This record gives sequence, C-alpha cells and structure tokens, in this order.
Amino acid sequence: MVSPWRLLSFLGLAAAALAKSSTGNSVLVVLDPELSRDNFSRFFDGLEARGYELTFRTPKDAHPAVIEHDHPEFAHVILFAPESKTYSSDITPQSLVTLLSKNTNLLIAVSSKATPLTSLASEFSLILPPPGTPLISHFPERDTPATVIPVDVPSRTPVLSGSLSPVWFSGVPFAFNSNPNIVPILNAPPQSFAADSSEDSGADALVDAAEKGGEGLWAGSSLGLVAGFQTLGGGRATWVGGVDLFSDEFAQKPLTDGAKPGNEQFASDVAAWTFQETGVLRVDGSAHHRVNDTAPRDQYTINDRVTYTLHVSKYNPTSAEWEPYSGIDDMQLEFTMLDPHIRTALKPTPEVPGEYALTFRVPDRHGVFKFNVDYRRRGWSYLQSTTVVPVVPPRHDEYPRFLSPAWPYYAGAISTSVAFLAFCALWLAGDSAEPKKSKSTKSD
Amino acid sequence: MAPKTAPSSGTSNSFQSLLKSYIETTSSRLKLIDVFLLFLMLSGIIQFAYCILVTNFPFNAFLAGFGSCVGQFVLTASLRSQVNPANRAEFKDVSPERAFADFALGSIVLHFFVYNFLG
Repeated sequence: MVSPWRLLSFLGLAAAALAKSSTGNSVLVVLDPELSRDNFSRFFDGLEARGYELTFRTPKDAHPAVIEHDHPEFAHVILFAPESKTYSSDITPQSLVTLLSKNTNLLIAVSSKATPLTSLASEFSLILPPPGTPLISHFPERDTPATVIPVDVPSRTPVLSGSLSPVWFSGVPFAFNSNPNIVPILNAPPQSFAADSSEDSGADALVDAAEKGGEGLWAGSSLGLVAGFQTLGGGRATWVGGVDLFSDEFAQKPLTDGAKPGNEQFASDVAAWTFQETGVLRVDGSAHHRVNDTAPRDQYTINDRVTYTLHVSKYNPTSAEWEPYSGIDDMQLEFTMLDPHIRTALKPTPEVPGEYALTFRVPDRHGVFKFNVDYRRRGWSYLQSTTVVPVVPPRHDEYPRFLSPAWPYYAGAISTSVAFLAFCALWLAGDSAEPKKSKSTKSD
Repeated sequence: MAPKTAPSSGTSNSFQSLLKSYIETTSSRLKLIDVFLLFLMLSGIIQFAYCILVTNFPFNAFLAGFGSCVGQFVLTASLRSQVNPANRAEFKDVSPERAFADFALGSIVLHFFVYNFLG
C-alpha cells in the first residue's frame, strides 16, 4: 500500500530532474510577430537555463493549442502579444480563466492599446486607463523619452529576491480594485502619471483632473506596473504593464547614474513567482490528539485538552524539493462551530522543522467542531486545512464520582437504608416477641 | 376559652396531656414507626438545608438523598395508617402482615433507584 503522499513525492522527484517549478516545466510563449524573439533572449534563455521547455507560437497560430479536450497542454503560458487584437480560437478570456483554474500559470503583458486582454484585466480587479494613455514621468532628468521610466523596486516582498537596482519600464499603469488576491509587485514612481500622449500636451487636462479632487487622475505610487494575482486554487497570473520590461534592450540600458538596471533579475524573479517556484507553500498534513495520547480520536469530550499539529512545507526551487518550513509566525488556528469558539496563534515548534503545534482546552460546549487553518498572505500560496471533529459531553461513566461536597447526601441515603433495615429488624422482632400481646389487644 | 385566660399553663397542660395520652394509648409498634418517621424528617431537613446553604452540587446526589428520605417517609406513613388499629375499618382487606410486606417491597425498590441515582 503506497500512501498518496509518497506517490506524490515520487512524482515530484521525477519532475525535479527536469524543472525547478513546482507545477511543471512546459511553457508556451505566445509571442507577437512584431516582437523579435532575439530582443527577449536574456529572459527566454534564462528560463531555458533553469530547465523550462519553451514552445513558441504567434497569437494567430492554431497549434499548439493552450488547452485541448479540456486539458491544459502546458504548465505555464506567457502571453507576450500586447498589441494583438485577434487571437486564434483557443486563446479567449474564458480559456485563460479555465487554464488558471486548472493551476496553469499565466504571465500576461498588456500595452496602451485596447485588446481582448485589457478587458480581461478588469476581471482580475485591475483597472486599466483609457486606451492610448501610457505612463509618463519627467523625473529623474534623463535622455530617454518621458515614457521610458526608471522605477525603484521595493526591497521587502516575498516575490522579489533581495534589493534590486531600479528597473526600466515603459507601458501602462493600472489601478487596483480592492481584491485580496492581488499581489502588487511593482508600483509606479510617485512623480509619474498616465497621459493620453507621450508628449506633454495632456498636462492641462492633468492639472484640471488634479484640481477636481483626483477624479480621473491616473498618477502616483498607488498605481501598479506589475501585479500578480493568485487564485484560490493556487494558479498564478502576473500582469505586466509593458512587455519591454523583459527586453534585452532595457536590461542593457544603463541607468541615469550609469549603473546596470535590475531588469534581468526582476524579470527572472517575476517569472519564478508566476511559475510557482518561489513563495509556494503546502500543508503536508494535520493531526490532533488528546494530551497524553498519541492517536487521534473519533470524537473529543468537552473540556478535553487537545493538541493540534500542522506540518507545512515550502518548495525549494534550487533543489526542486519540498522542505519543512517553520518561517510562518502569524498563522492562526480556529476551533469553529459556526463561529470560532477558539481563535489563537499557531506557532512553530522550536525543535521540529515544519511543525506548528498548539495545545488548548476544548470549549465546554458540545457539537460538531472544525480545526480550521486558513492562512492567506500576499505573495504566498494559500494554506488551508480543515478537520471536522465531534465534541460530545462525557459518557455516563465518565463523570467524577464520590465528590467530597456530596458526602452529606451519601450519608443521608445510607443512613436511610440502615434505618430501614433496623426498623424491619425491630418490627419483625417485635412481631415474634409479642404475638400474644397483639392478639390480646385485638381480643380486648 | 382556656388558652385565652391562661395561655402558657393551658398550652403546656394540653401538650403534656397529649404526650401522656400518646405514650399511654399508642402501641409500641406505632411508636417505632413514629421514631423512624421523625428520623427521616430530620434527615431530610438537614439535607435540604445543606443544599440551600452550602451546595447543590452534585444535584443528582441531592435528589437521591432527599428523595430517599421523602420516599421512605411516604412509605412508612402509609404503613402506619394501614397497621393502625384505629383505621381497621378502612383497611378491612389489608392485614398488618400484608401491609408490612408492601412496605418492605416498596422500600427495596426505592433504595434500588436511590443508589442508582446517587452517583
């Protein structure tokens, strides 16, 4: 009998020899014919060097299809066709959403032109500006057009590795709706804004918009340039405002201070996150048992002391293995019957890697409870584990007996019985001792 | 009336005469029953006071202990009325032996339930 986990780990080992992604190594690149593949050689060669198998096609090619017989043909899809208005029939907004729901990852580049993909972006709670309004910034002073902007990279995110140099960006920004599944990766510089031409002709309109209280104003650091989206099933989609971010041209273009830009590493990190290499966690299993016990019970009694254990693994892309992960310090356990009766921190066990354990007292309330762990943090896989256990009142023979406060009652009952026996003895003795007397009283 | 003119001496007199007549006219068996009834009543009062003043936990033990007193009291009172020669006319069909057997059986059943309930 081979346990499913072991089977999974065998499969994982088999895949590990080929790829560093936790979901697979086949990548379909839908590349616009107007974009030269050579201009993205650093990005694509970097992917191939990491073990990915790239398959290229144009948006209008029918083969290879991204999804056939309802089965995704590739583990990841890169859509670098920001200006294509027509796609072959297999690439539709619906099919892309289907791919995501089947745990296929998408890396999608958009541009300032209106395409079917820009309308899909709103389904991911990304609001694109009107067509033809790219991001513009006049700061810092430089010799590039106003639409080619160096953007500072945030240093502490789960997506990006370490501190990167600023990256060159050219494209559209997007505003975020309040969707908790969005993972902002790169935000626009504070001085930047979206204008309807690459010149400054729209400056007056911009000033007007700013004076109207910001309505219709696309400006500032709350705009996103690169944003990830993680579905509840774990599939990841990353939206990039401009495909040039990944190009060799931008990767080699020196910054204003002459330094090398961070584009190449940034593109690699974004691809690694999108293709589920980094920030990938999973629940290996959960267990529960009574204190001083080892096996889980079918049901618990009210006021039992119960230990709950959760094992979490993190995917290590360098070794392509799942490793126990103890780095989560803000996870919570809920013990729920309709409402969480207990919600408390689930801390890592100091000695055991990957184990999170908690001992608590079951509430004085019987019913069907759930151990519930629901850990959702931006940039990390969602962790969810639910275990249903009934909590019952004590059985009739599980109550404490011979309590000291009850001794007067025990004494009362026992003395009544003893007195009853004594009474019977005296009664019967009296009956035999004086039968004649009783007869004589009767005769009297 | 007598209590109005000399209340203290009148009540004590009547109480003494009551006691005297009880001691003289009541048979020893009925006295035995009365002693038993008095004991049960005191035991029940003590348990009830303990329940009110100290604790009613565990409540099942209180119910068992108090119930045994009350139940035994009822059974014993029934026995007393059935064996009392003054009630002979009312219980023509019940001999004192039969009454005692009923009483004993009822008490045994009562005690069986009491000890099951006592915890």
